[in-house]
Amino acid sequence: MGFGLLMINNVDLAMSSLLSGGGKAISLSLKLWGIYAVWLGILKIVEDTELDKKLAKLLSPVIRLLLGKVDKETENQVAVNITSNLLGMGNASTPSGINAIAGLDRGSRYATSAMIMILILNSTSLQLLPTTVIGLRTMAGSATPADIIIPTLIATVASTLSGVLLVKLFSKIFKDKP
Amino acid sequence: MSNYIMPILIIGLLLYGIIRKNNSYNSFVVGAKSSFDLVLTSFPYIATIFVAVEIFNVSGLSIIFSDLVAPVFEFFGIPRQLSEIVILKNFTGCGSLALLENIFTTYGPDSYLARAGCCIVGCSEAIFYVTAVYFSKTKVIKFRYAIPVGMLANFIGAIVSAWICRLI
Repeated sequence: MGFGLLMINNVDLAMSSLLSGGGKAISLSLKLWGIYAVWLGILKIVEDTELDKKLAKLLSPVIRLLLGKVDKETENQVAVNITSNLLGMGNASTPSGINAIAGLDRGSRYATSAMIMILILNSTSLQLLPTTVIGLRTMAGSATPADIIIPTLIATVASTLSGVLLVKLFSKIFKDKP
Repeated sequence: MSNYIMPILIIGLLLYGIIRKNNSYNSFVVGAKSSFDLVLTSFPYIATIFVAVEIFNVSGLSIIFSDLVAPVFEFFGIPRQLSEIVILKNFTGCGSLALLENIFTTYGPDSYLARAGCCIVGCSEAIFYVTAVYFSKTKVIKFRYAIPVGMLANFIGAIVSAWICRLI
């Protein structure tokens, strides 16, 4: 619909704006590539020094509080999952998240409240360091690119906390279906 | 002051690597190599969103959209220029980076809009995308209250972002 309107309103601009969109995409991707290379490099050091496993161990009481009784394997997967989110390893968190939810699968068509909790923990992603965004700001010439760490932390805690509370509330109102 | 946070953390990590006798050079190289895959998987989404945004702006649809939707966002303290990011953020994280980059070029990376935009992008993930991927190994097709709760939590994150960046 947008394209139709565009053709009628402004024929001359149609093609050039499409192509300028493609060009912008390339330049943003190149910037992101640089940022990803640096941060994935650093995160690999975190992984190889097993710092992430140490963090995961600290988290296990919190996980039991959030999910209730789950088996040890699922608990581990969720710990790895939350840790990689905390460190801004968004892509590293995906496999552990998938495994954690698969571990809770009962072959039913309905999601359980524990599954939804894992999902919401990921979608509201508690992030300590918003590395990608800081990188983009640096490249755009910001004087204080890291000054968003504290505001982002406050916002991410607010969204995660409200997500967790909402899941707890809804799981009381709507009981799990078989 | 805030500029010191990242360098200090990285130096700390490298020192820890020395204590643990880890070859940090090799680790970094292996990690950096995986950036190829990541940038290749995210590029199609970024390209699609940029092209869509161009059409959206140049066709005049963005003005219609802005007049319809922005008042709701402004009621909660979210500036109208950021309303598109808040909505798109539910569907695609890479796409919202494209919108953020546009905010940087239009208003400057140190403007209030850029900072609040960073917060909104940094504080949450795309609920629709995460749901689709995370349930992919199960038989679940009824997500129950997952999507509404995810969207609401993201929206609360956006409101807090918009307010907190006015204060600090």
